[in-house]
Amino acid sequence: MSEQTPQPERSGPAIGADEWVARSGERARQRTGIVGRVQELYERVPKPAVFAFVVLLAVLVPLVTAQTDNDIYFLRVGTVALVFALLALGLNVAVGFAGLLDLGYIAYYGIGAYGYAFLSSDKFGIHWQAWLVLPLVVAVSALLGLLLALPSRRLVGDYLAIVTLFFGQIFYIIATQGYRISFLGLNEDLGFDRANWDLTGGPNGIANVDRLGVFGLEASSERAYFYITLTAVVVVFAVLTLANRSRTGRAWRALNDDTLAAQAMSMPVNWLKLLAVGVGAAVAALAGTINAALLQGAFPDDYNTQVLIIIYAMVILGGAGSLAGAVLGAFVVSVLMLEGLRPQTPIGDFTGNGRWVFYATILVVLVAAIRPWRRLAAILAGIVAFGVVVHAMVAVTTDRGTDGLLNMGPDEYSGGGPLGWLIRHWLALPAGTYELGSRNWFNFALVGLIALVLCLTVVKGWKRDALIVPTVWLAGFVWETRLAQETSGPTRFLLLGALLVGLMIARPQGLLGRPRVEIV
Amino acid sequence: MAQPLLELDNVSKAFGGLQCISHLDIDVKEGEIVSVIGPNGAGKTTLFNLITGMYRPDSGDIRLDGESIVGLAPNKITNRGVARTFQTLRLFLNMSVKENVMAATYGRTHASLFESILRLPRARREERESNEVAQEKLSFFGQRLMGYRWNQPAYSLSYANRRRLEIARATATKPRILLLDEPAAGMNPVETHEITELIAELRKQGGYTILVIEHDMHVVEGISDRVVALDHGVKIAEGTFEQVATDPRVVEAYLGTAETERK
Amino acid sequence: MLGVLAYFQDFQLTWSYFFDQLVAGLTLGSLYGLIAIGYSMVYGILKLLNFAHGEVFMIGSYIGYFVLTWLGGAADPSIPVAATIALMFLAAMLGAGALGVVIERFAYRPLREKRASRIAPLISALGVSFFLQQLAVLLFGSAPKQYDAFAFDGGSLFTSVTIGPFRIQYMQLFVIVTTVCLMAALTVFIARTQVGRAMRATSFDLEAASMMGINVDRVIVVTFFIGSVLAGAAGVMNGLIFQNVNPYVGFQVGLIAFTAAVVGGIGSIPGAMLGGLAIGLGRSFSIGYVSSSYQDVIVFVILIAFLLLRPSGLFGTPAPQKV
Repeated sequence: MSEQTPQPERSGPAIGADEWVARSGERARQRTGIVGRVQELYERVPKPAVFAFVVLLAVLVPLVTAQTDNDIYFLRVGTVALVFALLALGLNVAVGFAGLLDLGYIAYYGIGAYGYAFLSSDKFGIHWQAWLVLPLVVAVSALLGLLLALPSRRLVGDYLAIVTLFFGQIFYIIATQGYRISFLGLNEDLGFDRANWDLTGGPNGIANVDRLGVFGLEASSERAYFYITLTAVVVVFAVLTLANRSRTGRAWRALNDDTLAAQAMSMPVNWLKLLAVGVGAAVAALAGTINAALLQGAFPDDYNTQVLIIIYAMVILGGAGSLAGAVLGAFVVSVLMLEGLRPQTPIGDFTGNGRWVFYATILVVLVAAIRPWRRLAAILAGIVAFGVVVHAMVAVTTDRGTDGLLNMGPDEYSGGGPLGWLIRHWLALPAGTYELGSRNWFNFALVGLIALVLCLTVVKGWKRDALIVPTVWLAGFVWETRLAQETSGPTRFLLLGALLVGLMIARPQGLLGRPRVEIV
Repeated sequence: MAQPLLELDNVSKAFGGLQCISHLDIDVKEGEIVSVIGPNGAGKTTLFNLITGMYRPDSGDIRLDGESIVGLAPNKITNRGVARTFQTLRLFLNMSVKENVMAATYGRTHASLFESILRLPRARREERESNEVAQEKLSFFGQRLMGYRWNQPAYSLSYANRRRLEIARATATKPRILLLDEPAAGMNPVETHEITELIAELRKQGGYTILVIEHDMHVVEGISDRVVALDHGVKIAEGTFEQVATDPRVVEAYLGTAETERK
Repeated sequence: MLGVLAYFQDFQLTWSYFFDQLVAGLTLGSLYGLIAIGYSMVYGILKLLNFAHGEVFMIGSYIGYFVLTWLGGAADPSIPVAATIALMFLAAMLGAGALGVVIERFAYRPLREKRASRIAPLISALGVSFFLQQLAVLLFGSAPKQYDAFAFDGGSLFTSVTIGPFRIQYMQLFVIVTTVCLMAALTVFIARTQVGRAMRATSFDLEAASMMGINVDRVIVVTFFIGSVLAGAAGVMNGLIFQNVNPYVGFQVGLIAFTAAVVGGIGSIPGAMLGGLAIGLGRSFSIGYVSSSYQDVIVFVILIAFLLLRPSGLFGTPAPQKV
């Protein structure tokens, strides 16, 4: 291959020739289904244009909405999504750029919130202005990030994971237990007034935290917070984009690929790791401050491991290493999974308490994963037929199973309109599963569903196609018997956990990330 | 002649009970090309790892320009002018060809993250310089790593091109001494021949002192001012290629003798 | 300084109180050690931080509970007490072992086959852990399930043998002895059997082992199985000692047990056991003498201290990085 100089301009495949081999990566990246095609389109548009367009759109959102209750709710959902976007951006530095598993990330978020609450609330009677508190809290958090990563600096990433995970846990313990601190009985000697000194307010947190304000101007409207958070996201996005392109960003990505080689190529890997954790901590603290001001309080359960998993799911879904992906992931997860599955909210009503999200996701996955379309059509027809037949068979043997449950909940919010009607005639739902204590149908179905899904990953060919049919039906069954009722609690976390595992196996690059190559 | 550029003084290193390097003395003078040969397991790569600070010697001293570099972190040693390539190819696979080389200029640039984000003059200047360095180092290999390959991820490169990129990346750290770990491994005869010329060219153009591990005796013969032969961590011969190649101990190490079957 | 002394109650300064903490610590330590072995074995072979291991322990604990309930509960079991407890252990160990194998097969092996990035299996493990935890919430409810082990045989299992100031409950003795037996069995298994040898070879160098004709996949399955079996046993012990099980216990105990594995020197089996004992004693004494709220903080401090002073742990050897 090296006798003659390769011709870069030569076109057309020539097996064994350098360029054809060289471009194999690009070709492999093409044709990865619908998600891949969307991604291809997205890559063709210049990035700054996309960025400007999205920002413009976001700026317009509060302007076009009037101040009805519903709109305020939507605005709040937007602000919360933006806070999550901020968190996802920050986490992306350690996880996406530098490839470090920072599981204490949630603690920095909490430190931001509690730090702001300490310095701007009635708790200790301190009411500093936000412009004073913000830099201080962010700096302290970044410093803590550096310090925490210090013990694990000489060690492989796994130790960093365990130390940081533990740290996050400790933060939560201090937050929930820190209302009765005793210094070995020395409280009085040390100048604290009570035997049990209250620092964090314990499980009740700290309420009545000041709103964000600058020189007497106070942000009090939903709109103001939306814009403040949006500004923070835009600034952090820009800062991280520039950081990624700088020598430091290159070094982060280099140590993600090969730490040892990075060190041999003059990069101080330990410092770079600390820096990545520290930068992430700063962004998280900023998000925490905003969150505390937004909620006017700091409450421990906003800063626990479950929230950490949510942020991880956002980054992974969006595509680790991609900043746009982090923002997209944050919006998808927080709007669809957190709000879309929450009952009795406008978005929840819109999605039928997540029913639409649930079935649409199944459909999208099927469409993306199965081709040609003839096979897809056959499978879809099979799914419908299967349900109708089962329904008919159950109807013949017992009337208890046919018109079960869609209206059996404690509230009448699960009628579900036309979709509900269709589902009623497709599934065979046993009566009474919502009633407390009779979880058996659901438990068996859920375990069966998990078993079926696991089987799906093993079998191939027509067997798999055939297996998809009962799996989808059972998924619907499980959803309607109980998951739909638990959407604000375990359901979404169950789905998030499954999402993380599934993504890692099926599409580790997420929606917008680039596929990574480890060893060739 | 003044003091050697790189000096290994009675260096030993053992892993568990296995003595990988024992009481090794090697001098490399400025501008020299020295080859290290020896059968598998002779301790050649360990030698490189000791010089670059990946391992710390159990005893002895390693000096660069008269100053001890023992105990320094690998990146510090690289900053002092020692760069290496890896026998097993350790490129930053998910970064582009250009970025691979630019990343290696980290030690030569100083803009802080803060400066980079605000795009202050120093950061902009250094970025430009890094870009130029990348261009210069990659163009050393003609068109092979230029043009459309410039922005391709390193994992898309062919094996030979990866070896070339490793060399380009190492030279981007602005080394005084270059440690090449089997630069011709896995290459076909034509490419091997090319590498031989290239190493000489590296010294001529870049002024590097070169220490190279190589198995291919044609390469060794073609490039070396001096050859050091190792076996079981001990230096068994040193001198010109002719001297070393005909040394009975070297022949024995490679081929074994009738009584002691070694390999 | 008087304040500090005054802080301790009189009873806290007696020997019998001290021995109580010691015995409680040893019991707790046995438990942590058993779980830590699973972490350590998997890490030794796959270099994978198996977050889901704590959840395996939790499921094991639930299985024990359901067997107990099925047999009529602790107060009135339908078969003799010893048989009941034996059955609980057996079912929990087998069930947990099967779960471990399933996790390996479906969550980790596909990643191994795809040669995924370093961080991917960790995130997958995190996902599995979270999934199992929430699955338990959905299946069993988030309220704790009561083992009610005090009711066994009229509470005789929780009476103590007393020798001077030294006092140990039968239940504690039982946990410690069972752990020692399991450890002995494991040691023999690894030292003497063909599979054990293969495990040692694989943990030394996975690729070389596979080239030497060792079926690495099988070795990994066996490793997960054994680790999970021990976690299942620990799950039942945990239920017997603490009387209940809840979906979150796996995460909490798992984290502590993993710390034990790190402190003992990850990859080393005796190290994991010793690390478990160290952490168990640390926790028990901090509960006894400092505060029950901050036992985890103490464990964390131990972890940080070890990482700073002896990163390879009590039994680990600093492995040279391969270049």
